[in-house]
Amino acid sequence: MTARRTASRTTPTSSNGRSRTTPALRLPSLPSLRSLTSDLPGAAMSATGTLASVLRDIAGRDVIDLESLHDVLSFAYRVADLRTRHGSGDYQVDEFGFDPDFTNALEPLVRLIYRRYWRVDARGLEHLPSHGPALLVSNHSGVLPLDGAMISLAVHEQTDRFTRALIATWFGSLPVLSWFLRRTGGTLGHPDDTLRLLGSGEIVLVFPEGVRGTGKPFRERYRLRRFGRGGYVEMALRARVPIIPISVVGAEEIYPMIGDVQPLARVLGFPYFPVTPTWPLLGPLGLIPLPSKWSIHFHDPVSTGDLPAGAADDPLLVMSLNDQVRDTIQAGLVEQLRERRSVFRG
Amino acid sequence: MGTTRRVLITGVSRFWGCHLARRLEASPDIERIVAIDTEAPPLDLERTDFVRADIRRSTIGKLLDALGIDTVVHAALIVDPRRASPRTVHETNVIGTMNLMAACSAPDGPVRKLVVKSSTAVYGAEPDDPSIWGEATPRRSAPRDPFTRDLDEVEGYVRDFMVRRPDAVTTVLRFANVLGPSHSTPFSRLFDMRVVPTVAGFDPRLQFVHENDAVSVLEHAVLDDVHGTFNVAGPGAVVLSQALAIMGAVNLPVLPFVGAELAMAMIDRAVPLGFAPHLTRLLQFGRVVDTTAVQQRFGLALEHTTADTVLAYARDRRVRDVVRDDVGYRYEVELEDFLRSQRTGQNGHTGAASKPRPRRARSANGSRPRRTRAKPA
Repeated sequence: MTARRTASRTTPTSSNGRSRTTPALRLPSLPSLRSLTSDLPGAAMSATGTLASVLRDIAGRDVIDLESLHDVLSFAYRVADLRTRHGSGDYQVDEFGFDPDFTNALEPLVRLIYRRYWRVDARGLEHLPSHGPALLVSNHSGVLPLDGAMISLAVHEQTDRFTRALIATWFGSLPVLSWFLRRTGGTLGHPDDTLRLLGSGEIVLVFPEGVRGTGKPFRERYRLRRFGRGGYVEMALRARVPIIPISVVGAEEIYPMIGDVQPLARVLGFPYFPVTPTWPLLGPLGLIPLPSKWSIHFHDPVSTGDLPAGAADDPLLVMSLNDQVRDTIQAGLVEQLRERRSVFRG
Repeated sequence: MGTTRRVLITGVSRFWGCHLARRLEASPDIERIVAIDTEAPPLDLERTDFVRADIRRSTIGKLLDALGIDTVVHAALIVDPRRASPRTVHETNVIGTMNLMAACSAPDGPVRKLVVKSSTAVYGAEPDDPSIWGEATPRRSAPRDPFTRDLDEVEGYVRDFMVRRPDAVTTVLRFANVLGPSHSTPFSRLFDMRVVPTVAGFDPRLQFVHENDAVSVLEHAVLDDVHGTFNVAGPGAVVLSQALAIMGAVNLPVLPFVGAELAMAMIDRAVPLGFAPHLTRLLQFGRVVDTTAVQQRFGLALEHTTADTVLAYARDRRVRDVVRDDVGYRYEVELEDFLRSQRTGQNGHTGAASKPRPRRARSANGSRPRRTRAKPA
């Protein structure tokens, strides 16, 4: 079965041969180059579609996943389109450095990872507001902030809205990540930034554990660290927006951090220098995350609208809400872990 | 409505002071304009009285008294380190401001209004900064480089003045980096290069203010009474790679992200760009300020967004490329007149891509047909 699949994928001639009979591929005798380039994707898609249905008839199950193919193609096209426009500087970023076109171009790739690699099972999406602000609060894990990307995609699939993630200050001082995270909607976890974004009606994602969460050793996985000082609760109370707790299972296993070279981290100015079974042993190959099976649960929103006006200045209330949110997430994690039979198969 | 009649402008030998003087000359409300500096202004000024004086001398107080100056515009702050030696920059910025503030705050003195040109550099540029600086947002860490420390002190002296003279109208304008055809700044020199060194792995958000807008805001602050501190920058932001793409320059990420200041200092020896440490940090971490207040209070004075400013600079530069000016751009009256005639000749080409809005006959000399004035909020 697998042999057949690889053969059909790697030899395009066979696919062409099969589908040349379909009318979609009957090209005019002297096609101009322009019409060829514009017709080709459609022709290729319909050819692959024919091939996929033939293969499904033979095998009795989906051999070629059309959705994935579509994602790959649209990623290629959006990136090409982006390159043309970015080459002339003809685009706009907002004051936070967010570039919606850039984020949209990456979306198919993220969706491919979301659906095929980590096979994310997202539940409770109905809690997300279709308009107006909300503060998403999630556990943080996996060395690099990839859980943020998966949550953002889940939100985008459900509501067609972009998520603005608050990132740890440390990532702002890192090369590449500093601009990449901003371009895709991230901003620093500064109170001013949070209030500004919530004030303009955005969905804001915060990881109160911060680098304490991403940098924790593998043996302590799914044990929540301290949720900062509850600053995010204060922001939600000030902006009077609902808090939506999120529990993410699966991200802890993508980079099992078995060591932390603190002296090196201190020299580089990092909060931790991770060692995984493959990093830095295999060099860049060690950056490939493991294909764990993920589940993301969005829990019932904690509403803040009915609290009295000075609630944000009441530290006792802030800390009790903080604990409430943290307990919801921890309980969610335990529940999801209970349902999970295998790390990689789910 | 302002009560400004007799204005004193410091730093008239440089772009800000002399362009402001020219604008104010066109205003009939202004009775007298006195400009002081240690060097003569580069533009021909018609009814401005130029006095060769040093703001570091205490004679300035006597001058204010003798002339009955009611409004002082402190535009002498040097932000471009290439213009003078570090020592002169420090002396002019800190000691000059201190002395000028002392002269202005004399309890029985004639001064009723103070307008200070400051810079958004006062916020610094660090990786853990808030994304958008409001006028009241406090810095998280003390300034690292001498220039920013000086700027901090300058604003400190101005705050002292506000305490000592609570009745006076004090306007502090923190300008973002200025871009425009007639003013050479570190960023304009950077954008003029074909290959631009950038910090590897960093693509900062930047803000610029068009030189005409900068002068308009200053002028507005003189003619109207606008008390307070304002960030002055084109609304919105660009990222460095975008600005370079608009300029058609090659982005060469050669500066290491650790020790970029040192590497830039070495490049500066070969190509004198004037990128002092505080500007190199800006090139690495970027800075965006909140422009809500300035848009509300100064309204029409800000014509260009940051993106417009960069686009306009790229267009003006194309004209300049045709005119060929090999010796590095300095303000030249004839050339500027020629550029101006080009601009009025092809009306509208400076703003073709931006959205249509009422555009006055733009000119660097300030002899504009009408005044734009925001409604007092």
